[in-house]
Amino acid sequence: MFENIPILSLLLIVPFVGALVTIGLGKNPKVAKYLALVFSGITLVLATLVTMNFSLSAPLGTSFQFEENYEWVSQLGISYHLGVDGISILMVFLSALLVFLAVIFSWDVEEKTRSYMGLMLLLDLGVLGVFMSLDYFLFYIFWEVVLIPMYFLIAIWGGPNRAYASIKFFIYTHVASLVMLLGIFALYFTASPLLGHPSFDMGQIATVSGDMGHAIQVIIYAALFFGFIVKMPMVPFHTWLPDAHVQAPTAGSVLLAGLLLKMGSYGIIRICVWTFPNITMEGQVLIAAIGVVSMIYGAFACLAQTDLKKMVAYSSISHMGIVLLGIATMTDLGMAAAVFQMFAHGLITAVLFMTCGMFQHKAGTREIPLLGGLAPKIPIVSTVMMMGFMASLGLPGLVGFMAEFSVLTATYDWAGLWVMIPIASVALTAAYYLWAMQRSIFGNLTTKIDTEHIHDAYWFETVPLAVLIGLIALFGIYPRLIMDIIVPSIPRILTGVI
Amino acid sequence: MALDYSALYPVLIMVAFAAALPAVHLVAKSSRAVAGVSVVGILASMGLVLYYMMNGYPVPMGGPNTPLLQFDVFAALFALVFQSVALITVLTSARYIEKDRHQAEYFALIMLATAGMMLTAMAVDLITLYVGLEVASISTFALVAFRKKDKRGAEASVKYLVIGGLSSALSLYGISLLYGITGTTNLAGVNAALAAMPSGLDPAAWMAIALLVAGFGFKVAIVPFHMWAPDVYEGAPTPISGLLAAGSKKMGMVLMFKVFIVALIALKADWQVLAGVLAILTMTIGNVVALQQTNIKRMLAYSSIGQAGYMIIAIAVATQFAVEGGIFHIITHAFMKGGAFMIVAALSYVALGENISDYKGLARRAPLIALSMAIFLFALAGIPPLSGFWSKVILFSSAIDAAQVAGQQWMMWLAVAGILNSALSLYYYVRVIKYMFVDEGVSTEKLKIPMSMSVAIAICVIATIAIGLWPNPVIDICSQAARTLFPI
Repeated sequence: MFENIPILSLLLIVPFVGALVTIGLGKNPKVAKYLALVFSGITLVLATLVTMNFSLSAPLGTSFQFEENYEWVSQLGISYHLGVDGISILMVFLSALLVFLAVIFSWDVEEKTRSYMGLMLLLDLGVLGVFMSLDYFLFYIFWEVVLIPMYFLIAIWGGPNRAYASIKFFIYTHVASLVMLLGIFALYFTASPLLGHPSFDMGQIATVSGDMGHAIQVIIYAALFFGFIVKMPMVPFHTWLPDAHVQAPTAGSVLLAGLLLKMGSYGIIRICVWTFPNITMEGQVLIAAIGVVSMIYGAFACLAQTDLKKMVAYSSISHMGIVLLGIATMTDLGMAAAVFQMFAHGLITAVLFMTCGMFQHKAGTREIPLLGGLAPKIPIVSTVMMMGFMASLGLPGLVGFMAEFSVLTATYDWAGLWVMIPIASVALTAAYYLWAMQRSIFGNLTTKIDTEHIHDAYWFETVPLAVLIGLIALFGIYPRLIMDIIVPSIPRILTGVI
Repeated sequence: MALDYSALYPVLIMVAFAAALPAVHLVAKSSRAVAGVSVVGILASMGLVLYYMMNGYPVPMGGPNTPLLQFDVFAALFALVFQSVALITVLTSARYIEKDRHQAEYFALIMLATAGMMLTAMAVDLITLYVGLEVASISTFALVAFRKKDKRGAEASVKYLVIGGLSSALSLYGISLLYGITGTTNLAGVNAALAAMPSGLDPAAWMAIALLVAGFGFKVAIVPFHMWAPDVYEGAPTPISGLLAAGSKKMGMVLMFKVFIVALIALKADWQVLAGVLAILTMTIGNVVALQQTNIKRMLAYSSIGQAGYMIIAIAVATQFAVEGGIFHIITHAFMKGGAFMIVAALSYVALGENISDYKGLARRAPLIALSMAIFLFALAGIPPLSGFWSKVILFSSAIDAAQVAGQQWMMWLAVAGILNSALSLYYYVRVIKYMFVDEGVSTEKLKIPMSMSVAIAICVIATIAIGLWPNPVIDICSQAARTLFPI
């Protein structure tokens, strides 16, 4: 269908033009919102079309689909190379979806609306670029482009401590990216002589990475891996995340957890594993350990939180640990499950952050001890939150179950009974969610906040949540819809061929 | 045989217009007319340079075996950089100094300084090199002192004059030592003579290197010869601070390229480590001290010192690729730093203070200016896809590239130090952006920036973005320019 249309470039152009138009014409907040809605809507439509047209029956040898490849900075071997496989296409769809929903959810933003909406679209551009780039340089540029809108979203529309959180976010992740950049350079300079010409092309470099010296492979791997796990973020490099989340505006948190963290795990799969499958194999136990520690640590940290949003932030660390564990198994099932969990976590965490934001808006606080018994007062908000918690703790029939279950199965196949350790975190997850729920929406009605004038969800809150819950249930009941897209791309990643 | 002067024409155009300016002022009595004539002069000179670039370069000037000036890609590229800087300085100054006396002289001095800088870029002989340096330096001494009643300005100008004079003397002494050792003042000749010498470095050559590093180091503001820069940048009229940071300092880099890469490359092994240490010291100290500044001009001055450290990497690595990166960085830095200083000038013209805290809430008062400033600062910090990102990429990767050679692995540390410093610098750049966009200022009154200043800023913004998105042609020409320094 898209033989002659550079559809992936369009996916970048639309949000970019949208950002310019919104910032340029959006003097009236209402106009800005509609413009952002239209442009993020077109992006979503395009992303959906690409996903629907993604060929599942393509023979295993075919690498990427909808590829575009042009020379950019020819002297240095930098190309404008885009393409998607089963892993990236899901992330592209998730990005377009979450940004669109986040725009709707932000319908009540009245302050500096046009910049806000413009930045959301810029963020869309950056994230989509990261997931579609097949050139290290392009990848790095989009990776950095993401930081700027997120910095402003936190710094301008964030909570009271936003200045600290935004700068911490920026510096932490920028330093990590710089280490990653060093790794990319080292990769480039080691690979170019092997290739016979300078090249930043991921595929080309992947074909020769096995011929590099072992020591240099390990060094490059470490630099890249560090860059990615800070973004994910894994313990002990996670400290920027709770600060950034607590201070970010709700839609910012949704995109931060839903998309930015995925950039980290996506990078590990697309770059670390694909380029250096052997090194990943050697470091399997260490990688799994980082994942499991993050799962357990995140879960314990959740138990200690009194702020709903901070709890959800820590739960993200725990749930991204599952992704890393899945990757560490280096099996078809484990890797596919990791990707599935990335997608699932994107949907679920969006619901969770949106409901946390609604609590803040409606009850005026997210402090669990101050809430209580709110379910009858705000039934929609409470129900949605409950469903989100259930999906997140892995209730069968919802999307989170499928992901966690597959990762744990793959872990059992690989590591046998060691799987009991990560399973412990599942129990902890159930504990903190149920405990939080019991304290915040059930029980006796609180007297600590004004519950007289509390208002249930508005339309712009209900619509995105309904869409998300619908998808969570759909993919939970029928996970093949997703798995069929992911699975054919996995063997190539695991064996390091183009 | 009559001497062919055509290589000098672009410089002569600048000088002729500079000479005509007092007369123009006498007739027109308006600073705008003078500025307008200066702009015409700069554009005419630029046009000629572009003509040379398209239609072949004039023959070298001087004797057949001892040319004095050579107009090649390198000279043309730097002429364009210096002229662009002069252009934005003039555009910004037209309104900035309209209430001062001696306006014609002010613009004439800017053009003379530019002419001197262009001369250094063309020089292939130590003497012409020195003449260019002096023409540029003496003009800028007077420019820094332009507001002689301003106390800070007076202090700055004395400091600048004394240190500038000292640095000239040191470099002249270094040059004469080189002449003494080699018996020639021709750059390539010096190198050939040094290469032919028996092994073991002459102590006099050591002296010469030390003196030249110190002399040019003052110009480029390399640590530990940087102390003057913040005071002078702070005290000078702001457009002139921009000229110093974006123009005069680049001339210092040209001097270093000419002397170290062309004349002293035979002694590379002896000064490379020294240059590497200076590069790391310069970037680190510049960036660390910039963190603590409260005055925006001082902050930009220290950040300029930090950026000079990155450029010294090109000298330390001393490969063609590294010099290419150095030249690229000089071009991008001219626009980023020049633009930032012009914004400071424009804002102080509309009575905004020069403390960083005065920039709080600027995004409300002058949204486009705040956006432009953010673009410059992000570019300076090296955030892609702006121009500053690419120049750092080439510089740092040239160090990594050179480190692949046995015995030069230490160069990897240059790249590591550069990257760590970039991360550090981000903090103070982002702080200004935060002030402008996040914090509330004391006033919300809109600021109206004069047209000519906006044009100057717009030129810099466009260059910063365009070079970021289409680095190809610029990299090409930088690599051609770098090749002229490495005759094979």
